[in-house]
Amino acid sequence: MLARDFMNFFDASRRQGVILSFGGDISENVLFSLGEVLKLRMSQGETDASVAKRVFAIFVEQAQNVIRYSADKVVKPSGPQASLISNGVIVVGMEAGRFYVVCGNELPDPDVPPLRARLDHIASLNSDELKAYYREKLRQPPDEGSLGGSIGLIEIARRSSAPVEYDFQALGSGRSFFCLKAYI
Amino acid sequence: MDRIQLAATDRSPRVDFDFATGHLSLHGESYPEDAAAFFGPLLQALRAYLADTSATPIVFEVGLAYFNSSSAKALMNLFMPLEDAAEEGRAVTVRWRFADGDETIEEAGEDFAADFSYARFEMVREAA
Repeated sequence: MLARDFMNFFDASRRQGVILSFGGDISENVLFSLGEVLKLRMSQGETDASVAKRVFAIFVEQAQNVIRYSADKVVKPSGPQASLISNGVIVVGMEAGRFYVVCGNELPDPDVPPLRARLDHIASLNSDELKAYYREKLRQPPDEGSLGGSIGLIEIARRSSAPVEYDFQALGSGRSFFCLKAYI
Repeated sequence: MDRIQLAATDRSPRVDFDFATGHLSLHGESYPEDAAAFFGPLLQALRAYLADTSATPIVFEVGLAYFNSSSAKALMNLFMPLEDAAEEGRAVTVRWRFADGDETIEEAGEDFAADFSYARFEMVREAA
C-alpha cells in the first residue's frame, strides 16, 4: 500500500514531465543544492547549453523570490538575508519539449495588487521593451520593500521563450497563494 | 588602500582589487546568498579609492560566467562611480570578458556598455 501510493504519486509527477520538485522550507543552501543537481541533470540530458543556462537562471530567480517574499517564514527576517528560510514550492519540468519553472508561495494580501500590477506590466512588454525596462530598473535604486534589485521578475521574463503565467488564490486568512510559471 | 583578495566560492566570484596598480577584477560565478553583504564592502572600498586623489589609471576586468539579478544590480553600482570618475578625467577601462557563444553574457556586456560615455568599455571574446 505504502509503496503503491507513493509510486502512483511519483509516476503522476513523472508523467507531467517533472524533473525536480521541492515543496517545503527553502533556504539559500537548499537553492544551491537543487541548482547543482538541476545543472547535472541537464548536462547529462544533452540539453542545449544556452537553454540550460536560461533554465538555471530562471530557477535561481524564482527560488530567491520564494526565499525573500514568502509570507510563511521559519526564521523571522531580523537577521541577515542569507539566513531566511521560507515555505514554498518550486518545480522544474518539461512540457511538449519545453522546460518550465514554476514557483509558488503565500503572500500577505496587501502584496498582491502591486505584484499583479508589476506582472501585468511585464507581461505586456515585448523583448525589446523588456530589455529597455530592465536597463531602466538596473540604474534606479531598488523599490521599497525589495531585498534584491527589483529586477528578478524582469530577468525571468527576459529569459523566457513565452509570456510568464501567474495566478493568485485567496486563502482567506489575510494571505493569498501566488504562483508564477515561466517557459524556456 | 589595502588590496582586497577573495577566493572564489561555489557561488561568489574571485575578487582581486589591487588598488596600488589600479587593477580590479571579478572572475567566476555570482549568485551569493546575500548580494548586498558580498558586494557592499567592495563598493565602499571602490568609493574610498576613487575619492583618493591618485590619478592611477583603472582597469576593471569582469569575467563572470553567470550572475543573478541581484549581482547585476551590484555590478551597476560598481560601474556608476567608475563612469563618474572617468567623466572627471580619470583613465578608466572596463574589460568585459565572455566565452565565445555565450550570448547571455555578451548581451549583458553590451547592455552595460551603453551606460558608459567616458570610461572605455571593451568587450573581450574568449575561446569557449
